[in-house]
Amino acid sequence: MNIVSAYSTKESVESVVQDLQEQFKGLDVKMVVYYSSSVHDPETISRKMQEAFPAATVFGCSTAGEIASGKMLKNSVTAMAFNAEAIEEVEVAVVENVQDDAGVEQAFARFEKKFGKPMLDLNPKSYVGIILVDGLSGAEERVIDKIGDLTDVTFIGGSAGDDLKFQATHVYANGKSYSNAAILALLKPATEFSFIKTQSFNALCKKLVVTKADEAKREVIEFDHQPAAAAYAEALGIPVEEAAGRFMHNPVGLVIDGEPYVRSPQQIKEGCMLFYCGVVEGMELSVLESTNIIEDTRKALDEAKAKLGSISGLINFNCILRTLELEQKQATDEYGALFADFPTIGFSTYGEQFIGHLNQTATMLVFK
Amino acid sequence: MAGKIKSMIDSIIEQRAKDNVMLQGVIRTKLMLKGIDPKKYTHQSDDDPAIISKLEALVKDFK
Repeated sequence: MNIVSAYSTKESVESVVQDLQEQFKGLDVKMVVYYSSSVHDPETISRKMQEAFPAATVFGCSTAGEIASGKMLKNSVTAMAFNAEAIEEVEVAVVENVQDDAGVEQAFARFEKKFGKPMLDLNPKSYVGIILVDGLSGAEERVIDKIGDLTDVTFIGGSAGDDLKFQATHVYANGKSYSNAAILALLKPATEFSFIKTQSFNALCKKLVVTKADEAKREVIEFDHQPAAAAYAEALGIPVEEAAGRFMHNPVGLVIDGEPYVRSPQQIKEGCMLFYCGVVEGMELSVLESTNIIEDTRKALDEAKAKLGSISGLINFNCILRTLELEQKQATDEYGALFADFPTIGFSTYGEQFIGHLNQTATMLVFK
Repeated sequence: MAGKIKSMIDSIIEQRAKDNVMLQGVIRTKLMLKGIDPKKYTHQSDDDPAIISKLEALVKDFK
């Protein structure tokens, strides 16, 4: 096997790292991706993970729950190791101030130096990017939009979590921990790869056009020239007082070629609606209705397997709101079991990235 | 004046994606996530200065 996944639920960072090292024994490790519960000290986990694999490129982030082959976990660390047969080349860059567009440009200059080509000339079928970003920065769309402007290579990833404390999230690279930052990794896999973007929603016929928004605050002030919350409630045929109770079941989405790009409402504030990701004036959003996460994910995995022939490794960026819904329905074991047959890691995110910044979605990088 | 937005969008997609249909779709998605729906604009659409300025900023990076 060229890709190996592992997890550890041991209590101390030292025991966790030793446990993972033992599980990766025998693999000549070139790259390690890991996701750590916020129970572990950020500086220590990052330093120890890099020390454990000194010759490898090691990066990761904090989480709101972890995913391993066949399991959804809490208070653990999940990791995936790749050898040179799986990953030909990898370079990691840290964008230390995610509010500054220059950070992405600097990261890309580093990639261009390493790979010897302008980012715009890289073939998106041969290269893939991973993005891990501070989940409390509120800057994800800024970073992923800038990335999308500068390259055709797909960057896929998630926003770091902190086990629903909403105090501080961390991204890890070079043996250090960073906040208000993003880790960008550019990979040249040795094998074919593909993507899954799955969300469990159908679009209803009701549409809402954003006519007034404070984009920086992710706030919709008006839909269709009416106060946002009132328009949302009217679309669902419910009193505005009941609107917040419907957010998880009925978010809204920008539907492109039949595919929803979900924007999840967070709260109602003085008649306006705050969202977990960007909403832009002029956007026509469809009201969505939830479907079955297990069935939809199984179908998406089957399609990926059919496309690639087999799966040698999968990295899952699964929205925390999906995890909460699975917990509510006592379906976490069933969800974990969907990933039992191949090396898998992942985490419960505070946002997902694939072309743009998304909510209530699972984005997955799948290796043949 | 009319039609400038449609021309700018077509030019961005053509220059960046060339004949690659998959990339054309990705670029349309990127534009829509920025609040610019390519399907909404025709050669008769008004030249909205706010959208034009958004597209001008994009042209710099998209090339």
